Amino acid sequence: MSVEMGISQESSHTRSGSWARSVDRTVRRWLPALLIVLGILAAWEAYVRIFDVQTWLLPAPSVIAVALFQDAGLLWYHTRATLTEIIVGFGVALACGVLLATAIGMSRTLERALYPFIIASQTIPIIVIAPMLLIWVGYGLAPKVIVVALISFFPIVVNMVDGLKSVDRDMVNLMRTLGANRRQVFFKVQVPTSLPYLFSGMRVAIAVSVIGAVIGEWVGSSEGLGYLMLRSKPQFLTERVFASIVILSALGIGLFAFVGILERIAIPWRRPITEESETQN
Amino acid sequence: MSMLAVDKTEERSYGQETASYSVRYAIRTDGLSKTFERDGQPLPTLNSVNFHARDGEFVSIIGPSGCGKSTLLNIIAGLDEPTSGSLFLYGRQDVTRLGSVGYMQQKDLLLPWRSVLDNAVLGLELQGISKQEATARAQEHLGRFGLEGFEKSYPHSLSGGMRQRAAFLRTVLADQAVFLLDEPFGALDALNRTRIHQWLTGLWESMQKTIVMVTHDVDEAIFLSDRVYVMTARPGAMKMVRDVEIPRPRSMDVIATREFMDIKSALLNSIREEDHSEDLP
Repeated sequence: MSVEMGISQESSHTRSGSWARSVDRTVRRWLPALLIVLGILAAWEAYVRIFDVQTWLLPAPSVIAVALFQDAGLLWYHTRATLTEIIVGFGVALACGVLLATAIGMSRTLERALYPFIIASQTIPIIVIAPMLLIWVGYGLAPKVIVVALISFFPIVVNMVDGLKSVDRDMVNLMRTLGANRRQVFFKVQVPTSLPYLFSGMRVAIAVSVIGAVIGEWVGSSEGLGYLMLRSKPQFLTERVFASIVILSALGIGLFAFVGILERIAIPWRRPITEESETQN
Repeated sequence: MSMLAVDKTEERSYGQETASYSVRYAIRTDGLSKTFERDGQPLPTLNSVNFHARDGEFVSIIGPSGCGKSTLLNIIAGLDEPTSGSLFLYGRQDVTRLGSVGYMQQKDLLLPWRSVLDNAVLGLELQGISKQEATARAQEHLGRFGLEGFEKSYPHSLSGGMRQRAAFLRTVLADQAVFLLDEPFGALDALNRTRIHQWLTGLWESMQKTIVMVTHDVDEAIFLSDRVYVMTARPGAMKMVRDVEIPRPRSMDVIATREFMDIKSALLNSIREEDHSEDLP
């Protein structure tokens, strides 16, 4: 028992100093990336100033920053539109993706029937489908949501199916010896096993759904950051195009991080493992 | 009481023993054989195994590695079916073995997303027993299994010994009539083994369950069992069987008794023959 006591004391010690440690870890983790970004921005700023590059050709970071503040209201309006498309589209993708993966995971026949269509859906360039969607479902939110959902459901399905299949055979056998039926094995073992895979798929999906929203807007819309970029370019408001890009990246990173937070909440049993491996590094 | 119905074959092949019908066989196999197929070649794994465990008995099986011990347990548990021969569970051949036979494998197979308590009640949960009732039953046993205060811990934070005991608790709570143990103490060091042997003996005596254990450890087999079987090398068959008539309760001192030594040397000789036969050119 003395060994076990030692282990539990050690883990409580880790917990008490965890706040300071997590700050420290965050700094160490993001500092290199931050330094690189600052370096690039500085070089960019210097290049534009030294060679006196025209703003319509390549705006300096400082000019873009000014545009971000000056056009804050306009940018916020369009950001909201894009964010709505992303969230609704991603939600549809998540719901459809999980349902499809469940169907595929439960039945070999359904897998054979559905998988070819799921793969086929990714072989058709989205840029070809997008204009057709305008004809079929109109001009509003619907076509953008469909474009976002079409690109982002794929990584969700593929990852979750892999997760459902990666189940430990011995665990399934254990469940069977305890009298579990197929449905119980599926929901009590396969689904929890697949959760980390599902979240990996969701992280890829949320990143591509930002791209999906912009494509949807480029094909035809009256609002959104993609629309704003499209409209600002012929007006030579290049700094506004760049401001939109900055916001789109920030959206992507923020949503990606948000999925990561959801993952930590949904998979609490996994958390200490990743923390352990990080402190070891 | 239909479980008690003694079949005709039992009477024939075990005529002497079943002369008085009071003997209940928890498990009995008759010419049980299993042939797998590997790369298109038949791979005989079990060759006409005759084996029995009476109700409430502790029986051990020892034999060289790869002799098909685990295959035999898999078949008894209902995870696999024999190629030929028959298997009776409480005299009946037509019962569903899955769910009726508890099976504890070498790996603890705790579900990583469940706390110790939720893992322990898994069998009860699958039997449809209410969460409240299941938890109450588990609480009663936590102390005896040395898991008090750890019921909310996830498996990854426990020591190997505790994980093993948690898996044991899950098996015991499921309350199946027969327990199969596949080298349950393989991961424990000698000192812990001795302690857990005594603990297990006490547990078994209070539960009145039939236990069939596969092990490599001859001392362990003799100390714990009413009867020890030795298997031949692959394809596995029962080579010898030896009753252990050392009175219970047994203390650790019995290891030094004449009776224990006699049984041990007989078993070791039998095992040695099998191991040598593998090394011969």
